[in-house]
Amino acid sequence: MALTKKQKKLLYINLTRAMTLDRMMMRIIRAGRMTGFYHEGGVSLAPGVAIGSFLRKDDCLGPHYRAHGIAEMVSKGVDIPSYLAEHMGREDGCCKGRSSYHWSYPDDKMYGAGANLGMPYGLACGYSFAAKYKGTDQVALTAFGDGSFQEGRSYEGLSMASAWKLPAIFWCNNNGIAQHTELSNVYPIEDLSRVAAALGMPTMIVDGQDLFACGEAALKAIDHARKGKGPFFVEAKYLRAQEHNVGGLNTSGDVPRSQELMEKWKEERDPLKLATLQLLDEGILTQKEIEKIQKDAEDEADKIEEAADQSPKALPSIEELLAAVYAPDTVVENA
Amino acid sequence: MSEVRELTFSEAINEAYIEEMQCDENVFLFGECIRAGTFPHTAGLLKKFGEKRVLDSPIAEANMAGFALGAAQEGLRPVVDFMYAGFSYYAATEIFLNTASYYHVHGSQHPVPIVYVGTCGVGRRVGYEHATPVYGTAIHHPGLKVCMPSTPYDAKGLMKAAIRDNNPVFFLWHTTMVAQKGPVPEEEYIVPLGLADVKREGTDVTILTLGLQVHNALAVAETLQDEISVEVVDARSVEPFDLETLLKSVEKTTRLVIVDEDIERAGFAAEISALMMEQGYDLLDAPVKRVCHPNFPSPGGYMDAYTMPTPERIEDAVREVCR
Ligand SMILES: Cc1ncc(C[n+]2csc(CCOP(=O)(O)OP(=O)(O)O)c2C)c(N)n1
Ligand SMILES: [Mg+2]
Repeated sequence: MALTKKQKKLLYINLTRAMTLDRMMMRIIRAGRMTGFYHEGGVSLAPGVAIGSFLRKDDCLGPHYRAHGIAEMVSKGVDIPSYLAEHMGREDGCCKGRSSYHWSYPDDKMYGAGANLGMPYGLACGYSFAAKYKGTDQVALTAFGDGSFQEGRSYEGLSMASAWKLPAIFWCNNNGIAQHTELSNVYPIEDLSRVAAALGMPTMIVDGQDLFACGEAALKAIDHARKGKGPFFVEAKYLRAQEHNVGGLNTSGDVPRSQELMEKWKEERDPLKLATLQLLDEGILTQKEIEKIQKDAEDEADKIEEAADQSPKALPSIEELLAAVYAPDTVVENA
Repeated sequence: MSEVRELTFSEAINEAYIEEMQCDENVFLFGECIRAGTFPHTAGLLKKFGEKRVLDSPIAEANMAGFALGAAQEGLRPVVDFMYAGFSYYAATEIFLNTASYYHVHGSQHPVPIVYVGTCGVGRRVGYEHATPVYGTAIHHPGLKVCMPSTPYDAKGLMKAAIRDNNPVFFLWHTTMVAQKGPVPEEEYIVPLGLADVKREGTDVTILTLGLQVHNALAVAETLQDEISVEVVDARSVEPFDLETLLKSVEKTTRLVIVDEDIERAGFAAEISALMMEQGYDLLDAPVKRVCHPNFPSPGGYMDAYTMPTPERIEDAVREVCR
């Protein structure tokens, strides 16, 4: 599905914003002002932007954990100050500052992050089943990495979605590495989409560093699911050009990954640099417009940081936390 | 007055399903082989409610529980049937960590109403996979509610409460009681979660238990009636637990025996014993005594005779605390 100029511009703006916010998150965690951990997005954010930009607000979205969903969220229009405040343990955090990175935005149909790899498959089945049950044309998209895919739950979720023709999109960000374990060491095939194909699902492979290729794939997958044709699997081959998480190692097994290669990827495969060249070349944006987009993104990040920082540290009492474990009684009426 | 009709556990649960599905479109049944009904509690429901609301799941428990969480987040009220509750351990991450924690960790803003259903209990000589009662593990994870009925009456009432509850609830029922009968009135009623029931009044010793063991405790109370007056408290709900009713009972009897089919170590009985130390110590005239599954795995076979809390073991414990 070819992208319109407007769509390309939207993707470009959102990627600029996502990468700027990722740098903001990095600044804040490095300054010791964030609770928990952060997994840098770096040059890995094109798939998340594509997904977030083209889903409808009422489509369920479970982002890949890398960059803690920032690319998907900023593109889908989620309130980022409360996301940052949550990471910083502040009262105005989306989960009252209790949870570090366990954000959640039910109104945006992004029900939240958890740390367990392998969770998204069942959830995507549940979301897309609910859409079918209610007879709406909503779709559900879940994104995950090659590490997550190694969990047996991927097979369970994919097979159910395919058997029941659920409007689910499985988006795999495959960088061939999970923390420090290379896929080739532990998995028999390189293209994970072959598993989905074997389970009867249409699949496609895209360059995850190519923002517009990701955008086209997202549109195609969403269109397929929305038309009731069942699930769709996209495999984006993408890159992690830095350590797994902030303060962690960047090794393959116990061998450091080549620093030269990382720098080369950042130089040559940065999706924003590639998209900038393309849009200038196609005459869709001018240098001046690009600078303005960059400036706006910086301003946005500053405002977000300022807003989050104004919120006081969340210090609930133990009594308050104890009283908050269970939801109040149901209001379902008697027949 | 007309006689109250008798229903089996299965029939009672079946009725709860029908009533709750009729009053809320969002309630649906999803589980392992429920259309045919490995246990008859789902019999006839496919015909009544159609394929949309009565679904056989793939045999993939982790996915079943993840699916249920997603569906609940999207506003549905899934009733997830694991056939045997022990099979749900494949979904331990989904149930005990992610679903149990979801509401609280995410700011206590978005309830996830789910009912997990499964049978359990020793006595059929089938071993740990089918016997493990799950509730001891479940209550270690705040956010889950857990109940287990001892009569068809309680089964229907608790199931209705579980379906209406806005939290994930584990509804456990005893494999040996599936066809057991008991009175169930025609009129609608609910048994709220968190309310224990004094199944027999007595003055010398309290037995706290649940499920099948309520009947063993009642049998012991009957046997001993001329010697020792036994009060039998049926917990019914393990979480929330009705400590008030237990304390009131022990205030009167001053002695407590806890009967629990789960492994003794770090289980429900251990938890209640600790609560008694902290909140009921002054009421006691003797140390609390537990009758549980001994601390070895459930092999099944004839070993069930060693692992089950039998009337004999319960009677010994009662005599010991009354010495
Ligand atoms: C169930 C579970 N097992 C292990 C981990 C530890 N862990 C966190 S992230 C990660 C690597 C994930 O790799 P992948 O899914 O490929 O994503 P990538 O970082 O490459 O984008 C691992 C092993 C976890 N969080 N959850
Ligand atoms: Mg990876």
